[in-house]
Amino acid sequence: MDWLVANWAFVAQLTLTHLGIVIIPLIVGSVIAIAGARVVPTRWVPSTTAALGAVYAIPSLALFVTLPALIGTDFIGPTNVVIALSIYVVASMFFSARDAFNQVPTSTTTTATALGMSRLQLFLHVELPMAVPGLITGLRVVAASTVSMASIGAVVGVRNLGYLFVDGFQRRIPEEIITGIGAVFVIALVFDVGLWLVGRVLTPWRIRGDARV
Amino acid sequence: MFDFAELAAWFADSTNWDGRYGLWFLLAEHLVLSLGAILLAAVVALPLGTLIGHTGKGEFAVIGLGSVSRAVPTMGLLFALVLLFGVEQRDLSLILALTAIAIPPLLAGTFSGISTIPWSIRDSATAQGMTGLQRIRHVELPLATPSIVGGFRIAFIHVVSTVVLAPLVGLGGLGFGIVQGLTVRNYAQVLASSLVIIATTVIGDQLLGWVQRRTGSRLVEHQTTEKS
Amino acid sequence: MKYARLAALALSVTAVLGVTGCSPAAEPAGEPIVIGSQQYYSNEIIAEAYALVLEDAGFTVERQFSLGQRDVYVPALVDGEIDLFPEYTGNLLQFFVPEATETAADDVYAALASSLPAGLTALAMSPASDQDSYNVTQDFASANGVASIGDLAGLGGLTLGGAPELAERPYGPTGLLATYGVTVEFSATGETTVDSLVAGIVDMANVYSADPRIQQLGLVTLADPLGLFLASNVVPIASDAVNADARALIDAVSAAMSAEDLVALNVRSVDEKLSAAVIARDWLVAEGLLE
Repeated sequence: MDWLVANWAFVAQLTLTHLGIVIIPLIVGSVIAIAGARVVPTRWVPSTTAALGAVYAIPSLALFVTLPALIGTDFIGPTNVVIALSIYVVASMFFSARDAFNQVPTSTTTTATALGMSRLQLFLHVELPMAVPGLITGLRVVAASTVSMASIGAVVGVRNLGYLFVDGFQRRIPEEIITGIGAVFVIALVFDVGLWLVGRVLTPWRIRGDARV
Repeated sequence: MFDFAELAAWFADSTNWDGRYGLWFLLAEHLVLSLGAILLAAVVALPLGTLIGHTGKGEFAVIGLGSVSRAVPTMGLLFALVLLFGVEQRDLSLILALTAIAIPPLLAGTFSGISTIPWSIRDSATAQGMTGLQRIRHVELPLATPSIVGGFRIAFIHVVSTVVLAPLVGLGGLGFGIVQGLTVRNYAQVLASSLVIIATTVIGDQLLGWVQRRTGSRLVEHQTTEKS
Repeated sequence: MKYARLAALALSVTAVLGVTGCSPAAEPAGEPIVIGSQQYYSNEIIAEAYALVLEDAGFTVERQFSLGQRDVYVPALVDGEIDLFPEYTGNLLQFFVPEATETAADDVYAALASSLPAGLTALAMSPASDQDSYNVTQDFASANGVASIGDLAGLGGLTLGGAPELAERPYGPTGLLATYGVTVEFSATGETTVDSLVAGIVDMANVYSADPRIQQLGLVTLADPLGLFLASNVVPIASDAVNADARALIDAVSAAMSAEDLVALNVRSVDEKLSAAVIARDWLVAEGLLE
């Protein structure tokens, strides 16, 4: 892999840009999805789910080029891609978040309310922590797809790891493409393991041997 | 923001629908490529998933493949395969890439559908004298159908999305309108093409969702009583 | 304890929203010259050459390469988000004036210079050119006795390969018919164009004149006596933010680059697989423009 050895600094630079493009949608999208999953009234859930499901089905390149017409972002620059990726994260995490909250036993929430907790306290101290396993699982899934989807941003001028695919193909350098695939894969893996660790840290009350989510 | 009159005019212009690069041909091309790859993937994934779900062996492979496949960038995979097999074989490379993308969700859907059938049901089938094959045919597959259809849904979305990138390697499909439109500044064409792509994906997804719900009623009652 | 977690979450969200708020295109009031490039390795090398000479002379340079299509980066140039961009006279002229009729190099340059939006200037153009050209394989040329585009007029069943937008270009299938009486069926081969030509999937293809593969693969570039294609020389497009000293440096780079030089740079990129930065630096040093 001489190509990688010769160009590793450049690849590292692209990796950083890629991370930036991915982290913001993951954080912003998850926050919106988690809040939304908790806050959306039950009677609106089926239509919200259906709408988000439809949005999730949209191919990324199509969304990248449609957003500028809808919300006036520029074709150029990461803003458009970041917003599009955030939308995907919201769509995906909404389902996971609802599932995760539904799994919180009603007995627990009733007890907490009986103890005098306010809605906000209930959410922050009981529901959210107990939903963490489900949320982490959902987040792990969405992180992997977001990392790989972000590379398509290279087609609309975002200089992330996807550039390695386009340039490698243009100049017929297979090692460059394979480096790109490898790098994306490694980042996705890092997110996956990282999130798993975060999940373990945030849920110290879970006894080992507990049912795996 | 955007001139929707321009968009309507683009759709009204018949030259945009006719010919090798007109919407009809591109749509047909897109669907044929997508469905062909999904069928190919199903030939591999459904029997394999059934076997693993039925016997319980090889579970880790399926779960591992699921996580791994989500992380593989489809554009990179496509470009790499085209370089590998050569430009003359780029149709083959595309089909291969699409099949590789379609297999994991189909496999996961099939496996998950069968493996989550309560053992009580599977055991009672065996107790009634069914052979393994009969159990698969009469009990496991029917009960797993909603999950399998769910797998098709996900495969459909991923495959159709990847075909959008086909013009980047000199092939056709609905993505052509986007790629060409961007360079010649025909935003109406770009938006129109992406709307057709979106409509195709959403309609296909909703259709499969309807099929999934139609085949889904049987196991639900059992599952809610199993979970306590 | 739990509140600390909420605070941390709120802080990170705020920080993130703050970062998103600062769009990368907004520059602090000040010096950096933003240089852009197309998503084309050859164009990147030229852009990198500009960047290196400017940095060497003490300017602060910000690179925003691989910006994609003209519709994407020309507005950024006009807005002043990008200050310097290596372009091609003919193609850029057609972008601003689709019905342009000039074809000779100097005419094209003059027409381009006068049609640029306010705030943008075309610096001196380079002898190096990289323009569209129709090519066939050596075998095809010999078998059919063609040396110029007009020679194709008698042949039937011709397929033309090129980027998707070629179908819409004035020098595409419509221009071929109108100017030379040549009928072709178009196939959007995109990045696979040259390979498709060599493999016989298409009979003729639009290949950029500075593409090293024309020489490497022995392709025959068809003569264009009737001027279907506009001459397209490398020309730096600069905004007002690029001062006289910077312009002089860029002019030196343009003057030093011959057509053969550009092809040689492209050859290095494709054969030796080096990065644009390395290739540009080596060339600048060889030309005495850099230490």
